[in-house]
Amino acid sequence: MTTTSLGAREELRASLREFLTDKAPLSVVRQQVELTQPLDRKLWETLAGDIGAQGLAIAEPLGGAGAGWAEVAIALEETGRALTPLPLLATVGLALPALLAADDSDVQSELLPRIASGDLIATVAWVGDDGAWDGSGNTVRAHDDGRESRLSGRVSYVIDGDAADLLLVVAADDNGRSLFAVAGDADGITRTTMPTLDLTRRLATIDVDGVIGRRIGRPGSADDILSAALEHARVLLAAEMLGGAQACLDMSVNYANSREQFGRPIGSFQAVKHKCAETLVQVEAARGGVEAAALALDEEPDRVKILAPMVKAYAGEAFFRAAGENIQIHGGIGFTWEHDAHLYFKRAKSSDLLLGDAAYHRAALADRLGL
Amino acid sequence: MSIDLGPRTAAFRDEVRQWLDANADDEARSLREERRPSPEQAAAHKRWGDRLLEAKLICVAWPEEFGGRGLTGIELAVLNEEFARAGVPRVTRGMGESLVGPSIIAHGTDEQKATFLPRIISGDDTYCQGFSEPNAGSDLASLRTRGVVENDEVIVNGQKVWTSGYWAANMMFCLCRTDPDAPPHRGISYVLIPIKVDGRPNGVEFRPIKQITGQAHFAETFLTDARAPLFNVIGGLGNGWRVAMTTLGNERGGNATTQYVAFEREFWSLVELARETGQIDDPRVRDQLAWAYSHVELMRCQGERLLRALAAGKTPSGAMGGSVNKVFWSEYQRRLGEIAMNLQGAASLLVGPDYKLNRWQSTFLTTRSHTIWGGTAEIQRNIISERILGMPREPVRK
Repeated sequence: MTTTSLGAREELRASLREFLTDKAPLSVVRQQVELTQPLDRKLWETLAGDIGAQGLAIAEPLGGAGAGWAEVAIALEETGRALTPLPLLATVGLALPALLAADDSDVQSELLPRIASGDLIATVAWVGDDGAWDGSGNTVRAHDDGRESRLSGRVSYVIDGDAADLLLVVAADDNGRSLFAVAGDADGITRTTMPTLDLTRRLATIDVDGVIGRRIGRPGSADDILSAALEHARVLLAAEMLGGAQACLDMSVNYANSREQFGRPIGSFQAVKHKCAETLVQVEAARGGVEAAALALDEEPDRVKILAPMVKAYAGEAFFRAAGENIQIHGGIGFTWEHDAHLYFKRAKSSDLLLGDAAYHRAALADRLGL
Repeated sequence: MSIDLGPRTAAFRDEVRQWLDANADDEARSLREERRPSPEQAAAHKRWGDRLLEAKLICVAWPEEFGGRGLTGIELAVLNEEFARAGVPRVTRGMGESLVGPSIIAHGTDEQKATFLPRIISGDDTYCQGFSEPNAGSDLASLRTRGVVENDEVIVNGQKVWTSGYWAANMMFCLCRTDPDAPPHRGISYVLIPIKVDGRPNGVEFRPIKQITGQAHFAETFLTDARAPLFNVIGGLGNGWRVAMTTLGNERGGNATTQYVAFEREFWSLVELARETGQIDDPRVRDQLAWAYSHVELMRCQGERLLRALAAGKTPSGAMGGSVNKVFWSEYQRRLGEIAMNLQGAASLLVGPDYKLNRWQSTFLTTRSHTIWGGTAEIQRNIISERILGMPREPVRK
């Protein structure tokens, strides 16, 4: 890590914040999610063109910025802060690390430039109807007819599965479990949007019936690829949650400083101040953890297995707490549909549970520590 | 950690490491931080301290012109890391180094600096603190100990409390009210009071206070016509509040980048306890252990973050240390003590002869003080909300 990269990351943060404030303020986000409008592809393309957020961790020869995961984490933190309904977590947090882990240069040189340019939205599909994050409920099977693989079965809880151009589907075959690339509009695919409690997170069920799939990586390597991808996703989802938590804290403080009761701002009452102070303590701890985990993805791979489940668990609980206190500090208005507080509250719980809750990740951490 | 701190810092690290390789002998490595060392431990500690003194490794954060080394935050972190790696204590001059020295440097006259600072560095003067009073704890500015100026002396009368390290001290830095008619923050003076003068008592009497642990690590202090030359008033009469606030500013912060080391060692001892008691496979216990480890690791991450900011030449935000750090570690360790007591089960119910506590009972009880001293957890949250988040102060009753 160099001094300049710290400065460069802060510049990236500033330009992202400016971009999102201008192009996708909460008023626009609300309108989009409430009317269940389709994903704003134009915004996705502009994000790639103006900021290059999708290509931050993609090498320069493949059309990316050749930066690193620490930069990607900042992008996720900012979209998490703004609740931007774009498929960044799915495309860059799941599909991209899966494609990198598959270590297939043909696939990479074909697909990575399209991700970087904003042309390709991608996701990974591995969870079954039962919602078990280890993918044990996944019913998709692949049959190889000698020329090509055909997939049949169902996967659910596919993040941005309804909008993705490319689905990386985990399927059982004669080699165990392998990863297959499936076109979002392939013959025999049925995509059903799942009605989500969190309006800002899109999930889909994917039914495949004899759909042509292209094998990614070695036969039987899906578990390895998936575990590498999930490690990245944990860190980047934690970054996204950190941004959300910071947004809730900022909202709470702004409101407490302006709302007056008993002739003084409610922010002058210790009961309110201490809630905000406690949230800050947890947000700052989460920030240190997320930064370390994201840097570790680039520079200290040995630390990732500890830091990834740790930050997923901690940031999830910190965000949920921040979002809950934000409603409480706002009082009645915070309980209304009209106010933005519930968007964060629901995003906080859905993110806390996504990929497995805090207890699940602490159990993983205990195992990884060799306890 | 892979933070590139630049060539100057790398050279400093090499220098420290070489010195430690040559000087950290078995005796130094066997030294433990004791709250109340035996005479043998104290002598060994002093021998090691003298070596550090010779090598100019005492009061290293003070500017060079005052006998320190003017280390930057990064270099201080490096020094702490290297000492931790070598397994030897970094001898400090306690509150003299962390509180009194910085106050004198910021507010003292040239003569005061020349008189008091070398004696702190050499270890000739050891200070204890005389701030809190029975009726002035968190609300320190309401203190009532009186200081009356007579000729060229201040004569101090009153009562202080929670005086830690009193048994080793020959000096007390004391806040007293020298102008009873001024507003609370204005009439206070910061006075360095000798405990004895020419070997004779100077009206400073300590009475040990037995704590909930059964031990007496601090005392209440009775000041009866205790005398100090006017020369010993730092920052001028009536300016003591400002001087004291500099010291509090220095007390918070500290060794963020090596802080986690001791907590990590403690964590693995707790794991050992869970193994010994056959509870390591209990999912609830594993959840608690993973929770604990997360907090230790988060402290480490936060320290690294601070170091990265310093390495980039940035002033770390207030949220990276100070009150935020204090709340985080003190409440973490309190919970750790509770977890350990539960793991011990029935064994936690019993103590040894003379109320001797086992390690975890001691942690369980001692950690109750960590959320009180140096500003209670509530005061820390006030500081966080007012100074970092910019929230309004509680209105003061007129």
